[in-house]
Amino acid sequence: MSLQISDAVIWQETAGGISLYHTESGDFHSLNETASRIWTLVADKGEREAIVSELSQQFSGGSVAVSVRIVKDVQAFLGTMIEQGLIEERPALS
Amino acid sequence: MTRALVLGGGLAGVLAAAVLARHAGEVLLVEGDHYPPGPLPRRGLPQSRHSHVLVSGGARALDELLPGTVAELLARGAQRRGLPGDALVLAAQGWFRRLDTGACLLSCGRGLLDQVVRQRALPGVTVLTGTRALGLAGDRRRVTGAVVETAGGGTRTITAALVVDATGRRSKAPGWLRAIGAPAVEEVTVSSGLAYSTRHYRAPDGLAEGMPAVMLHPRPAPGRPGQGATLFPVEDGRWIVTLTGTRGGEPPVDEGGFTAFARALRDPLVADLMAAATPLGGVRPYRDTANRRRFFERAALPGGFLAIGDAVCALNPVHSHGMSVAALGALRLAAELARHGADPDAFPAVQSAVAAQAETSWRLALAQDRPRDDGAREASAFQREILARRSRALLSSPELAAGFFRAQALLPPPAQDGAAVARALTGEPEPLLTTEEAVAQHPALHAWCATHARAGGEPIRR
Repeated sequence: MSLQISDAVIWQETAGGISLYHTESGDFHSLNETASRIWTLVADKGEREAIVSELSQQFSGGSVAVSVRIVKDVQAFLGTMIEQGLIEERPALS
Repeated sequence: MTRALVLGGGLAGVLAAAVLARHAGEVLLVEGDHYPPGPLPRRGLPQSRHSHVLVSGGARALDELLPGTVAELLARGAQRRGLPGDALVLAAQGWFRRLDTGACLLSCGRGLLDQVVRQRALPGVTVLTGTRALGLAGDRRRVTGAVVETAGGGTRTITAALVVDATGRRSKAPGWLRAIGAPAVEEVTVSSGLAYSTRHYRAPDGLAEGMPAVMLHPRPAPGRPGQGATLFPVEDGRWIVTLTGTRGGEPPVDEGGFTAFARALRDPLVADLMAAATPLGGVRPYRDTANRRRFFERAALPGGFLAIGDAVCALNPVHSHGMSVAALGALRLAAELARHGADPDAFPAVQSAVAAQAETSWRLALAQDRPRDDGAREASAFQREILARRSRALLSSPELAAGFFRAQALLPPPAQDGAAVARALTGEPEPLLTTEEAVAQHPALHAWCATHARAGGEPIRR
C-alpha cells in the first residue's frame, strides 16, 4: 500500500519537530522526534513496508522483540494519522 | 382546550405564537408596548432604529415558518446582499474581493420586518397590547399561567397550560420561576464593552439602487479600542450607518462627533458616503451589547414553561444574529411541537432543543467577544504563520470565504476542499486591493463615484 500525506495538510519541519495544519478540521498538531521521523519517511518513501523496514533496521539493534515493538508502534501511529485524515493510504500503482 | 400564553410580542414572541397557534386551542400574546400602525419603529423596542439584518439561515427559517415573508419584504424594499459578493468588506488584513459564497443578508428597517411578520403570524392569536407580564402562576412542578398588569393598570392572572417567555434580553423569568419555587437558572454574561451609534440617511441620487453593504472592521491593535462602521441599504432609498467602538473608543452621540469618528476610521469610505447623503434625524446610541445566556435547559423547570429568543440567548447585536436565532428557535419549536404535541410535560425537553439552536451563534459571538485567556498557551510560530496566511487568503479564496461567510450566515458548511484551501494558504496571495480597486468591483457605486468627481464636487475618493 502506498502512503501519501493528504493534500489538505500543510506541514513544516522545525527544530522542535514537525508541525502540521489540517485545512479541513482546522486542527494543529506537533509531532515529537520519533513521529517526525516517521512523517518524513512517509513524505520521502511513501510505502508502508519500506518505512517500517527502515525504522526497524535503524532502531531495533538486531533484537526481534524490539523490532516487533517498533512495527507495532509505527503501524499504530500510521493508523492514527490515516484516521485523522492527515495521511492517505492508496493501493500502490503497479 | 389547551391555552398557550406568550409573554412578549417581539419577533421571538410573535413567531412562537404563530407556531403555537397550530397546536393549541387558543393562543394569547401579551405585550407591554403598543404596536405602531405602520412599518415604524416601536417605542418599547429601544434597538428598533438600529441596523437589523437577517442572515441566510434566519431568512430561510422565517420563510419556512411563514412562507412568502421574504418575498414580501423584498417587494416592500428590503435589500438582499450577498456576502461578500454584494458587500464592501474591509477586514483586518484588507478588502474582500467579490466572491459568491451563497451567504446573504437581508436588510430592512425593524419596523417593516415586524409589521410584515405580525400580519402573517398573528391571525389566530389574541393579542393584548399594553399588558405587561409581572410573574408566573403555578408551582415548581407546573406553570399554570401568568400574572399580568392590564392596560387599565389592574393586575390579573391569565391561566394557561403553556407559558412561553419571550420578553427578551431583560427577561425576569429566572426571578419569576424562583418565586413559584422552581430552581435557579444559571446565567452567563460576556461583554466586549462594545458600544454603537446609529444614524439614518437618505441615499444620494444615483445610489438608491445597487449600493453594496459596507463593513469596515477594526484593525486589531493591542491596548487600543477597536473602531469600525457599517452601512446597510434599506427600504425607501435609505441607509442605516452604524459606528462601533470598544471600551475607551465608543462612538459619540452628537452629530459633529459622529461625523468626525467616521472620518477618523482606518478608511474614509463610510465618511465620504455619509457626507454625500442626507441625514434623517439624529444620532442614536446603543450600549446594552453584552452576550447573555440563560441556561433554562439546565434547571429542573416546571412543566408548561418555555423560554425562547433573547430571553435564552441574547447576543451582541453587532454580530447580526439576534433575529435569525429567534427565527431558528421558533422553527425548532415548530418541529418539537410536531413531535410532542402541545404537551406541558414535554416543554423541558423542548427547552433543550430550542437552546441548542442558539449554540452556534453563542460560540461565534464568544469567540470574538470573550477576553483573551492569559493562561492560554502561546501560539507557535507555525500557528501564527498559518493564521496570518489564512486571514490574508480569506480575502480572495472562494473556498475559505465560503467557509467563513456561510458560518456567519448560519448556513451549512460548504463541501470541504482541503487541497484547495492548502493551495490558497501556501501559494502567493492575491495582491491586496486598494480602496479604489475594491469600490471598482461594484459598478453602481463606481459609476456614481466617477460621476460625482467629474461633476466638480468634492472628490468622493481620495
